[in-house]
Amino acid sequence: MSNYKDDMRDDEIRVIGAQSRKQKTEVFSYKLDPPGPQKPRKRKKAYLWALLLAILLIIGLILLLRSGKTKEDPYDGVFEPKEEIAVQPVKQEKKILGHEVDSLSSYTERIDTVINDVGIAIFIPHNATPELWVGSPPEKDPGIILAVQAADIRADNKEILGAFVYRGTPLAWGLSKSGYCAIIDGEMTIGTSENSPLFEQATETEGYFFRQFSLVNKGVLVENELKNKSVRKALCSRYGQIFVAVTASDESYHDFSQALVDLGVEDAISLVGSKYAFGWWIDRDGVNTSFAEGWHKYKKENYLIWKAR
Amino acid sequence: MSKFIVISTNTELLRIPSDRLMFITSDGNYSKVYTQDGHYRHVAYQLGQLEDMIGDQLGEDETPFIRIGKSLIVNRDYIYLIDVSSQIIIVSDCQGQFHTLQASRKALISIKLLMENTEL
Repeated sequence: MSNYKDDMRDDEIRVIGAQSRKQKTEVFSYKLDPPGPQKPRKRKKAYLWALLLAILLIIGLILLLRSGKTKEDPYDGVFEPKEEIAVQPVKQEKKILGHEVDSLSSYTERIDTVINDVGIAIFIPHNATPELWVGSPPEKDPGIILAVQAADIRADNKEILGAFVYRGTPLAWGLSKSGYCAIIDGEMTIGTSENSPLFEQATETEGYFFRQFSLVNKGVLVENELKNKSVRKALCSRYGQIFVAVTASDESYHDFSQALVDLGVEDAISLVGSKYAFGWWIDRDGVNTSFAEGWHKYKKENYLIWKAR
Repeated sequence: MSKFIVISTNTELLRIPSDRLMFITSDGNYSKVYTQDGHYRHVAYQLGQLEDMIGDQLGEDETPFIRIGKSLIVNRDYIYLIDVSSQIIIVSDCQGQFHTLQASRKALISIKLLMENTEL
């Protein structure tokens, strides 16, 4: 979608129709070169002739085939057809979003969609391993194809809010939010639970763990008390696929969560949102794009990053 | 009966009678589609893509829709005022819907000439 090229300039107008791309009108040029009303009719006639010719050819072909068949088997129409058409049960396939992984290149795919009037950009990391990162982000590392701020920072002491495990080492123990994300042996799990065994497992296996607001739990919307509107960001799981969803404009948690449910997301937790939450993504062409308009730096800012395999 | 313009995405299908579509504005990678009843919908298409869709769906002949610059498509049946000096175009159904839109001076001169030279 974002690869679409539009050659229009602000000084131009164009009457939309089948030939609209050619019928560009610049200032004062309309009088000099008006769109001819006869030309489309000529084209229309040519199309009609071509269509008529095609129909005649098809009829001739059908007659030819039928006459050939009659010679081979004169009793063909007498008997019931021997081959029966087997009726296959329709399988409901779960369709994942974005490209199927078909190459060794690592990149983040962006899909823009609108659900219930909520504009959402979906960022899908391909061929990448998730990890947590604490401290200033490695923004110049081209091997990191997607980075988003993970756990919130407390306003009073600037420490990480909620339980947090970094490479097996617990850095925070709080339980203020029921949503969690655990990365064990490179596999990410998103869920909602006040007491997840994955915290301990992360400490035992040099894994990662952090907590955030739960937005969707097993396909059901989770209501949050915060009612203000802001640019929202979420870590989502859908049919086994993990992606980051970001709203195009300021939205409430309720509207965002509802849109994620309608998208078919099974589990989702929020990520640090607003226009100032730093992060970036690298597309298929290697273009690095930032999520943030500004950047609020914190001592223990932490990131969820995807490293190219 | 007027033709319908159908805008389909991964998750939504928007279906609007072409004579009820007043104008479309660009909003980054998205567009806002305004209808004569005063509502609008966000769609996940860029304006150029919607322009192609309208052209394809309304057939070979000229449609009443005019692309004006990078960020606007207007149904000329609803053009109420073109003010070149103020660089605005007002789109209205004269029944309560009244939208003031910005456009470049040169584009407005072109559209004014087009309207003057076209039998409507």
